[in-house]
Amino acid sequence: MNFFTLAVKNLMRRRGRTVLTVLGVAISISVLFSLLALNTGYEKEMNKEMKSLGAHILAVPKGCPYEAASLVVHGGVIPKYLSERDLQNVSKIEGVDIASPLLMHQGYSKNEETGKSVPHIIYGIKMEEMRKLKPWWKVEGRFFNDDESRVMIVGRGLAKYHNLTVGQVLPFGPEGDGFTIVGILEETGDQDDQFHFLPLSEAQRLSRKEGKITTIAVKVDDLSRISEISAEMERIPDIQVVTMAQVMGTIMNLAASARSLLMTVIAIAMIISAFGILNTLLMSVNERTREFGMLKAIGASGLDIGKIIMAETLIITVSGGVIGVVMAVAGSSIIEGFVKGILPYSPRGSFIYISPELVGFSILFSVALGMLCGVYPALKSSRLTPMEAIRGGIE
Amino acid sequence: MTAILEASGLTKTYRRGREEIHALKEVDFRVEEGEFVSIIGPSGSGKTALLNILGCLDTPTVGRVWLNGIETSNLRERELVRIRRDNIGFVFQQFYLIPTLSARENIELPLLFSRKEEEKERIEEILEMVGLGDRGDHLPGQLSGGEMQRVAVGRALINDPKILLADEPTGNLDSGTSNRIFDLFRDLNRQGLTLVIVTHNTDLATEAQKMYTLRDGQIVGGEELAFHGR
Repeated sequence: MNFFTLAVKNLMRRRGRTVLTVLGVAISISVLFSLLALNTGYEKEMNKEMKSLGAHILAVPKGCPYEAASLVVHGGVIPKYLSERDLQNVSKIEGVDIASPLLMHQGYSKNEETGKSVPHIIYGIKMEEMRKLKPWWKVEGRFFNDDESRVMIVGRGLAKYHNLTVGQVLPFGPEGDGFTIVGILEETGDQDDQFHFLPLSEAQRLSRKEGKITTIAVKVDDLSRISEISAEMERIPDIQVVTMAQVMGTIMNLAASARSLLMTVIAIAMIISAFGILNTLLMSVNERTREFGMLKAIGASGLDIGKIIMAETLIITVSGGVIGVVMAVAGSSIIEGFVKGILPYSPRGSFIYISPELVGFSILFSVALGMLCGVYPALKSSRLTPMEAIRGGIE
Repeated sequence: MTAILEASGLTKTYRRGREEIHALKEVDFRVEEGEFVSIIGPSGSGKTALLNILGCLDTPTVGRVWLNGIETSNLRERELVRIRRDNIGFVFQQFYLIPTLSARENIELPLLFSRKEEEKERIEEILEMVGLGDRGDHLPGQLSGGEMQRVAVGRALINDPKILLADEPTGNLDSGTSNRIFDLFRDLNRQGLTLVIVTHNTDLATEAQKMYTLRDGQIVGGEELAFHGR
């Protein structure tokens, strides 16, 4: 027999209460774990998403620049456009390596079986420039040339979802022109998986926006000159400049305030849960006061009794912590969905990031929680004199 | 014979609200090594107060106590723990067994605190001694009242005490079972153990070698009894 087995046996005396207490700890630890997983994952995923755009600066039509940036990243339609002249002006600025026009359009295709229109996000691009912006792009089949017509490549996610294959012809646009899928992108893990990519001129023809572009993605030669170049771009009328650093900064700020709100709620939940544990412990200690008197009579010191109670507390909180982590990992998608609803801007991919450090921290936190909650009941019981204990408490 | 336990001028006063209660008034008491002593008296006579002071669970307000030649009445709780552990076995009216531990584990429990090795043979020997040779794996809930008290006696014996103190050990048992518990006490006494039993059962008390009567915190009578030696 040792203190651990004695503590376990003691906890088994009131199984129901023990299970409920463990569950309470598990829930708070799983919430804590999820939030921290989110904290690291969100930033990682945001960075990845911003990088996957490949551009350092976006030129968008005057309006809300952040909304525009978000739409460019996620897909969507902005009812304002830039012109080819703007593009030429931007290209002329010194230090601009690539200035690639993009046109975003929401198109519909007819599902042959159901006859219903299915929305698609169509991205008109200059392939050659795009491949410089996104050198990681790989394709099954081939990339199209910018002067081809009635061709497209599609993202991997889209291809999987609609069972698309290379060589398949999709009817697109108001006339239902047939577009041949010449390539399917290898999975990128970001928003590119969900788009149809068409040659810019074809996208313009399809959406009847000849000569118009949604945004200009700019890559610079020298990152240290970004602010200089963006100031230069600002001088072009119609154009509003958004640097990726700005977008990131703003979104991160918004997200930070949402997270600090969440943190507060969770801190309060933790405190309530700690008091719950404390209450349960005090109850269990109080009802065993006479038994502690017996233990003292058969040779237990105050320290021994304190040890038993600490062991019981730690068993509760640590098993709660382990169950909580398992619960959080298993239920991460549900929690993610919930949090995505709260945050002002969420990356498309999964952003719960589970690391061994985080698992370690959560378990450590449950140990600390146990120490904190156990110390008062343990101290209280260890300080009882044998007579106080035998009489059933301090009179 | 040498006194294993000696008390002189024991006075214990405590307060209950405004009332001052004199649990013991200048009690002198002496137990020789190997004796079987019973203390009787009505409730409130101070029996339990006396036993608790003798057993180093409590300290007297005035007076001195010697256990095995060591004065215990002025020691601190930290030192008393060790004295109790090494010298005294306690048996209570309510048994106080841990319900999720088997009879054997309940008996082993004091070894956890005395940090002694668990000797399998010794534990089996004690189970045999208290008449539970085949009941070691049973949980207290599966045992009768008498058997539970036997477990408690076994637990009191595991640390090889010099003296066994029992506070109303048969208070929760029927008369047949009580008799058999006393038989056990006599057996233990015959093997050399010193026993002090507090009870209000006069019939059983007369089974001891000496019987003291307490009333209102004072010893009002002491009898040498013809020890039946059965």
